[in-house]
Amino acid sequence: MIQYRGFTKRFTGRTAVDTLTLGVPAGSVVALLGPNGSGKTTSIKAAAGLIRPDAGEVLIGEQQLSALDPQGRRRCAFLPQRVSFPDTLTGREVVEFYRRLRQAPADAADRVLKFASLNGAGARAVGTYSGGMIQRLGLAVATLGTTEVLLLDEPTAALDPEGLAAFYQLVEARRRAGGTVFFSSHQLGDIERLADAVAVIVAGRLVAEFTGSDLAARLADRGVMRVRMAAPAAEILDRVRTRCAGAFWSGSELMIPGPASLRPAVLEAIRGGGAEILGLTTEEGRLEAFYRELIEASS
Amino acid sequence: MTSIWPVLWLCARHELVLAVRSRWLQLFAVVFAALALAIAGAGYVLSGGHGLQDFSRTAVSLVQVVLLLVPLAALVFGGLALTPERGAAELLYSQPVSRGAILLGRMLGVWMALSAAELVGFGAAGLVMQSQSGIDGWWRYGALIGTAVAITGVFLAIAALLASGNAGRRTRVLATALVVWFVAVVVFDIAALGAASLLRSGSASRLLIAATLVNPVDAARTGALLAIEGTAAFGGASLALLRFTGGPATTAGLVVLSLLAWLVAPLVLAVRALSRADI
Repeated sequence: MIQYRGFTKRFTGRTAVDTLTLGVPAGSVVALLGPNGSGKTTSIKAAAGLIRPDAGEVLIGEQQLSALDPQGRRRCAFLPQRVSFPDTLTGREVVEFYRRLRQAPADAADRVLKFASLNGAGARAVGTYSGGMIQRLGLAVATLGTTEVLLLDEPTAALDPEGLAAFYQLVEARRRAGGTVFFSSHQLGDIERLADAVAVIVAGRLVAEFTGSDLAARLADRGVMRVRMAAPAAEILDRVRTRCAGAFWSGSELMIPGPASLRPAVLEAIRGGGAEILGLTTEEGRLEAFYRELIEASS
Repeated sequence: MTSIWPVLWLCARHELVLAVRSRWLQLFAVVFAALALAIAGAGYVLSGGHGLQDFSRTAVSLVQVVLLLVPLAALVFGGLALTPERGAAELLYSQPVSRGAILLGRMLGVWMALSAAELVGFGAAGLVMQSQSGIDGWWRYGALIGTAVAITGVFLAIAALLASGNAGRRTRVLATALVVWFVAVVVFDIAALGAASLLRSGSASRLLIAATLVNPVDAARTGALLAIEGTAAFGGASLALLRFTGGPATTAGLVVLSLLAWLVAPLVLAVRALSRADI
C-alpha cells in the first residue's frame, strides 16, 4: 500500500533519511520505531506528500501513485505530531471545513466528533480546548472520509486517556475493515498492542524489521529483574547462577539479566535457598541500547 | 475535487471567517475610520475653521496615509494569516487538493476581509463627512477606497510569496514583511530620487518613470492622484511618466498594468514555491 523506494531526504547538509526502502502492505498495521531525530517524522510526512524526496520515491496504493500527487493523497489521511487549529473556530467548524475539503459525506462531521468524544464540545471555540482535546480533534479530522491509509506521527504522544481509548479503537476498527495504518512511535506499549510489524529506523537508516511479537521478545531478552533481600548471601548467588549465569549482587539487590522466561525459575531458586524476598522490580530492555546493537549488527 | 474553484472558494470563505473574527481586522476598520475623520477635520482646523472637509479634499489628503498604512496592514496581517503554524500547515497541505488552490483561496479570503475593513472604516467616515459637507466629490473618495483595495491585493500577493517558502516560520515572515514595507514605502523613493539627482536630465527622467512603474506604491499613488485630481497634484516622477506616455489615459493604463503585474507575478511565484516546498 505504501512503498518507499530508496527514499532519501537531506536538510541543509544533514541526511535525515538515507535510501529508505520499505513496504507497508495493504491491511497491515506497521509501526516506525526509532530514537528522536532518526527520520521517523520525515518518512511519514513524505508518505503524506509533505516532503519532496531528494532521491527515490514514495508510492501510494495499488496504482502506485506518487505521494506528491493529490490523487495519491486522496487515499491517505495524516495526523501530525503536534496538530493545531485556529483558536477562533469551533471544533465543528474545523471538522466541517476539512469534511468539505475531502468531499466526505455530510453526516461524517457528527460521526467523527462523536468518535473523538467531542460531540459536546463541538460548538465551543478551539481556543478553549485542552491539549488532549486538540489532539482528539486532529484524530477526528484524520478519520473523515474513507481513506485506505492512516498515517499517524507519534499519535499517542499528546493524547489524554479518552483520546488514547479512541485511538486504540480506531486502529482496531481499521484493522478489521482491512485498512492500512502506518504510525511512528517510541511508546513500546503502543507498538506491542497495535503493530503487526515494526520497522526500526536509526540515524535515517532502516536497521531492522520485526513482527510486533518478535520485537517484544527481543526487548524482554534484554531485561533485568532486581530482587531486594535483607543482605547479600553467596549461597543464594550460587543457586541463582545455576539458572542465570550473569546474575550478580548490587548492594542488597540481586540483579538477574535475561529474558522474562527465566524469572520464575530464578525466584524459585531464591525461595528454595530460604532467603526472604523484600522487593522485586523488572526493567525491560532499554530501547537506546537496543538501537545501538541494531546499528552495530547492520554495519 | 477535480476543479480548483470549489477548493479556492472554500478556503476563501474559511479565511474570511477567521479574519472577520480577528481583533486586528476590527481594529484596522476603526483606524481607517478614525484617520479619515481626523484628516477631514484637520484640514479646517489648521486653517482656523471647524467642521469637516468635503470628499475631494479629504481624498487627496488621505492618499499618502493610505499608501503608508494599507501596505503595512496587508503585509503584516496577510503574512501572519497565510503562514499557518507548522501543525496546521501539515494537516492542511496533506489534504488531497492542490497547494496552490489552498494558497490562492486563503489569499482571496484575506483580501476580501481587509477590503471589507477598508470599506467599513472609510465608508463610516464617509457617511459622517456626507452629513456635514454634502455629497460633492464622493466619487473621488470612492477612487481612494478603490486604490486602497487594489494596493491591498498587491501587498497580499507579496505576503503570499513570503509565506509560501516559510511554512510555520511566522517570525521570519513577519520580519521580512516589515523589511519589504520599509523598502517599498520609504527607501525606494529616496534611493530613486538620490540616483536621479546624480544623472543628466534625460536619464533621470527615464529612471523616475521606471521607478514609478516598478514600485507598486508609486504606481498606486500616480493612479490615485490621476483619478482624484487629474494631473494637477502630480510630483516629478509622475509628471515624467505623463510626459513619456503623452496623456493621462496611457498613464492610467500603464499604472493598471504595473499593479496587475505586481498582483499576478508574486502569486505565480508563490504557488510555484509552495508546490516545491517541504512542509
